[in-house]
Amino acid sequence: MNGLERILAAVHFTAADLPPAAPQLFGHAAHLCGVRLCDYGQNGALMADCQLRAKAHYRSDAVFAFMDFCMESESIGSRLRFYEAQYPEITSYVLPATADASHLHLPDPTSDGRLPELLRGIERLRSTLGDTALVAGSLLGPMTLATQLYGIETALFMAADDPDRFEIALDFATECAIRYGQAQIVAGAHLPVVFDPAASPAVVPPAFFRELLLPRLKRLFAALRQAGAIANWLNIAGPTATILPWYPEAGADIATFDYYVSPEQAARLLPQTCLVGNIKPLDFLDANPERISGAARQLFSAFRERGGFILSSGCEIPPESAPANIAALIAVRDEG
Amino acid sequence: MDAASTVRDDFRPLIEALLAGDHAAALAETRRLSQIGLSAETIVTAGLEIAMQQLDDKCTVESFNLLEIMLVGRAVSAVVRELYPEGVPPDKSRGTLIVATLEGDVHDLGKNIVKMVLIGKGYRVIDLGRDCPVDTVVAAAEREAASGVLISGLISTIVPQVRRVRAALRAHGLDAVWVVAGGAALKQLVATDLDVDCVAENAFDGARYIEQRFGETKP
Repeated sequence: MNGLERILAAVHFTAADLPPAAPQLFGHAAHLCGVRLCDYGQNGALMADCQLRAKAHYRSDAVFAFMDFCMESESIGSRLRFYEAQYPEITSYVLPATADASHLHLPDPTSDGRLPELLRGIERLRSTLGDTALVAGSLLGPMTLATQLYGIETALFMAADDPDRFEIALDFATECAIRYGQAQIVAGAHLPVVFDPAASPAVVPPAFFRELLLPRLKRLFAALRQAGAIANWLNIAGPTATILPWYPEAGADIATFDYYVSPEQAARLLPQTCLVGNIKPLDFLDANPERISGAARQLFSAFRERGGFILSSGCEIPPESAPANIAALIAVRDEG
Repeated sequence: MDAASTVRDDFRPLIEALLAGDHAAALAETRRLSQIGLSAETIVTAGLEIAMQQLDDKCTVESFNLLEIMLVGRAVSAVVRELYPEGVPPDKSRGTLIVATLEGDVHDLGKNIVKMVLIGKGYRVIDLGRDCPVDTVVAAAEREAASGVLISGLISTIVPQVRRVRAALRAHGLDAVWVVAGGAALKQLVATDLDVDCVAENAFDGARYIEQRFGETKP
């Protein structure tokens, strides 16, 4: 079986030759190849090249077309500062605190900001890998993009003080995500991973997720499925136990769970959803392959009977992580 | 501590407004309490500190969320600005603390949250902002005679900087200054990894550690 087949087997709870492993390697691919993150994040071909080299090096079952969390906001008009060794920051948000999002233009993924670069990277990844490994795109979920129109503090205060205006931002963000996700699928992504860190219960209460975010995630995932996504993958970090039960209703087939949630708890809350996780990302920082091996074996053991599991970290593996740790994770996968 | 049992009746409206994150009502209530002759110190200890204690009791790892904390924080800040327009004087505070996000990390939301919690608990807080060099932290700790330094870090690249703080303080004879780390990246490590006294799960956890250390130093 190849990587894509293993991942699909996990999604459908069917048997595979080996359990799939898809460590969340984004900027680490640049680090591994000696490429500066500011270059990696602005050149789709370079991003794809680093991802392919990282995949060849580690033999993981997926590649991730991910540049940073600021791409969508930048494409709408926010300004960024780039750094050599860390992801960019937004220095100026597209909307002032007093504005609403109704007059913003929906970004065109083929022409605005760096969105076309990511699409170019996806095309290259898919044309190289075909269906031998999962080619995952990436986009921001509605809550995170809404906060990136104003800055998170302004956006959260708005959510409390002026909920109608905040919902306009959420709706705009949802339409952006749909359009960008559809473009990624057209470019060749098997699916776009929906990252929505600001939807975490660490940021907003579960009732906020249920009332405001769940309906919009449903809309987004329905659109992605209709566009041809082979599955829907929702990635929210942090203590998500209180919102995991709503993932199936949102339309998520694959759910990342972070180290806050135990494998047993995640399996209980999402009995029919493929789970991805959940090694602590910073455990990859200092070389300690034995620690990673131990954690990976525990995870495989926890999911051996259930199936429906992809070995990974609970959130992004830090770019500067020690390669020996990632190799150790894959080595445990190879043990079967 | 059962914070509810120590609530004075005349402070209930203020505490309720603070916990609801209603900064306008909290401000109005503060003005009312000031007008009937209550001192700023009393309003802090019987109002703000009790509200913060109740919030602390409510905020477990599962229920801590930024939105609610920020709303309370905005209300607390409005009240403190009303009571001390020139800033909290050292002799009116429970102690002085430094908060910062270190050089290389431009994310300051976590730092702002811990600052709010500490102010609400009656501490004088020196905010060095984000992207702050370790040397600036040390100089501020010395200049302000701070008891502790609280570092927030969202990204993993900041770890080497955090590991420098203790040694830099020691090099200036500030061995007794407590160092607390927190934030999404740093809290995945343990105190010995970072050479700090405490790794806080959240802002209240960090504040609890500070309170515990102040408790130990009381005569």
